[in-house]
Amino acid sequence: MVASPPFRRVLVANRGEIAVRICRGLRELGIESVAVHSEADRRCAHVLAADHAFALGGNSAAESYLDIGKILAAAKAMDVQAIHPGYGFLSENAQFARAVRDAGLVFLGPKPEAMERLGSKKAAREEAQRVGVPVIPGMEQDPGDAGLIEFAQKIGMPVMVKASAGGGGRGMRLVERVEDLAEALAAGRREAKVAFGDDRMILERAVFPARHIEIQLIGDRHGNVVSLHERECSVQRRHQKVLEESPSPVVDAALRARMGEAAVTLAKAVGYDNAGTAEFLVDDSGNFYFLEVNTRLQVEHPVTELVTGVDLVHLQVHVAAGGRLDELLAGRDLRPRGHAIEARVCAENPEAGYLPAAGTLRLVREPEGPGIRVDSGVYSGWEVPPFYDSMLAKIIVFAPDRATACARMSQALRDAVYLGIPTNIDFLRRIVDDPDFRAGRMSTDFLKHKPVLVQGPSAEPDDLALATAVLCQALAPARGSGNGGGGGVAASGARGTAVWQDLAGFRLFQEAR
Amino acid sequence: MSTRREYLRAGAAVAVSAQPIAGDHWRVRVGERTYEFRVAALGDGGVRYVPVGPDADAVGKADVAYGAPAGKGYMVRVAGRTFTLLSPAGRKGGGGGGADGTVRAPMTGTIMKMMCKAGDRVAADQTLVVLSAMKMEHKLAAGIAGVVKKVAASDGVTVEQGVELVVVEKETA
Repeated sequence: MVASPPFRRVLVANRGEIAVRICRGLRELGIESVAVHSEADRRCAHVLAADHAFALGGNSAAESYLDIGKILAAAKAMDVQAIHPGYGFLSENAQFARAVRDAGLVFLGPKPEAMERLGSKKAAREEAQRVGVPVIPGMEQDPGDAGLIEFAQKIGMPVMVKASAGGGGRGMRLVERVEDLAEALAAGRREAKVAFGDDRMILERAVFPARHIEIQLIGDRHGNVVSLHERECSVQRRHQKVLEESPSPVVDAALRARMGEAAVTLAKAVGYDNAGTAEFLVDDSGNFYFLEVNTRLQVEHPVTELVTGVDLVHLQVHVAAGGRLDELLAGRDLRPRGHAIEARVCAENPEAGYLPAAGTLRLVREPEGPGIRVDSGVYSGWEVPPFYDSMLAKIIVFAPDRATACARMSQALRDAVYLGIPTNIDFLRRIVDDPDFRAGRMSTDFLKHKPVLVQGPSAEPDDLALATAVLCQALAPARGSGNGGGGGVAASGARGTAVWQDLAGFRLFQEAR
Repeated sequence: MSTRREYLRAGAAVAVSAQPIAGDHWRVRVGERTYEFRVAALGDGGVRYVPVGPDADAVGKADVAYGAPAGKGYMVRVAGRTFTLLSPAGRKGGGGGGADGTVRAPMTGTIMKMMCKAGDRVAADQTLVVLSAMKMEHKLAAGIAGVVKKVAASDGVTVEQGVELVVVEKETA
């Protein structure tokens, strides 16, 4: 029996892969989706995935996906009942959540009051301390550079400087020497100003080696909050996650229970009523320290979906419509099952300082097969605009155990083809094939200790690369002509003999299964 | 009818040509070496290849390869690795700290801060420009030590990929 959908039409205030994923989730619930898009994103994958599209105009995030007035006007024009903010952009903006509510619409995220109490790192820290959740020693106010530097000397180096309004690693830096603090603060303030329109910085003692482990939460409007367990996101570059997995190789049932309880306590204290994530650092001895709450759906939510069997977007919709978690999850065994890993495919060049790249993706061929999920926002021919995040897609694998999941991810990355602009695919595979990664030995400075993984082998083409490049050019023009019988073999039509006949028993595809 | 290309490897031009021999059988010359493959187009921009002949072992096992143009070059993905090939003519361009002392925008972005002015004496790895692109800051350096000859951008300006930002000239002793 299918219940009637809680909303008739929902606007997705985001772009790329997450907007595609949300549109799909909405369709599964029988809800129409409305995509919004900038000029550059007219033909972005999320526009194609939605039932309706609305042009916001502009190109920069500020004049499109961050423009509250334009988003609300779109919602009104398209007659939607609710707005899903995705991640990034306006997703953690309490002012936006409030404006949505004031417009008589439902915000598919936490209520603005809860968001405000957890939204800034400073507010979240104070809340955590109040309810007895452990935090890292640090300064929660920005007294200016001089005060921050003096405090750093008091608690001892190294320290982490962060944007007070932060999230997503913007403005965050590890500083090891006192003399480097001034420059780090200046750079952090510039980045924070651009990302959040707020250049205040905070500072805390750096815990390391540490693992980044976070707890997925879902709350409802009736005071229920459920932990959907941990994700380990220790492999990071420049404080941005590269690979995420669930469960963590180092979290046992006891630690899982303690961290889950801490996160739930904090969420309940502020009346948290949608999907959110409490982030922690975990040291070698299993001590955990609360970092912040991301008051939104996370990039890495699919690994949780795979190991718990819940659909977080569906749950977000249901609880926002007033559904009760005790009913929505009744009879469900939420204990983690199997192992899931996610790799973020980005248009960037790790071998050249992670330089991001914009431009046309000439050829995209995403991996598929048992236990492989791809949440993608791109396709062959899509021109990646220079205005937004460099993430193109997420490759997620699921397997009965971690070793199999690693092997599956390695093969999925091997099969993945994204050509036209540089991507981090080869870099991701080097990490997944690293013996320490395979053994689950990670910390947030994993890549710092492994410059070889970042740099990779020589980029000079070997004979095979040169030979196949020319073969592709000799044969690829045959694309579209005579490929009905399994592929014309030659560039010229006169040589269109089916390869299968010519090979006469030569089992060309034997190893290709 | 053979397909010929010339690509850079370790700074030197390597001639590569592929010639059909019979049916799906191709001979590929890479510089001085010759390889033979049986090849099938896959219809999606890729080829399935099987190395055959005397040098088959030198290029590994049968596999699939995908290729596509990329800017001025050509990208190929083979045996789980991606290579960007440049022809000798396409050597220039792109961006970043050119070792010739010209700092170009490695991609379209906004100038956050120009960290130098004309006449400044700068070190090879010194940050001269902070560029914000795709939500991240990038520090650009000249790659050579010298004196700033020209500053062609200012704070807050949006620049296209490849645009000249700063020119540093080596000091003559």
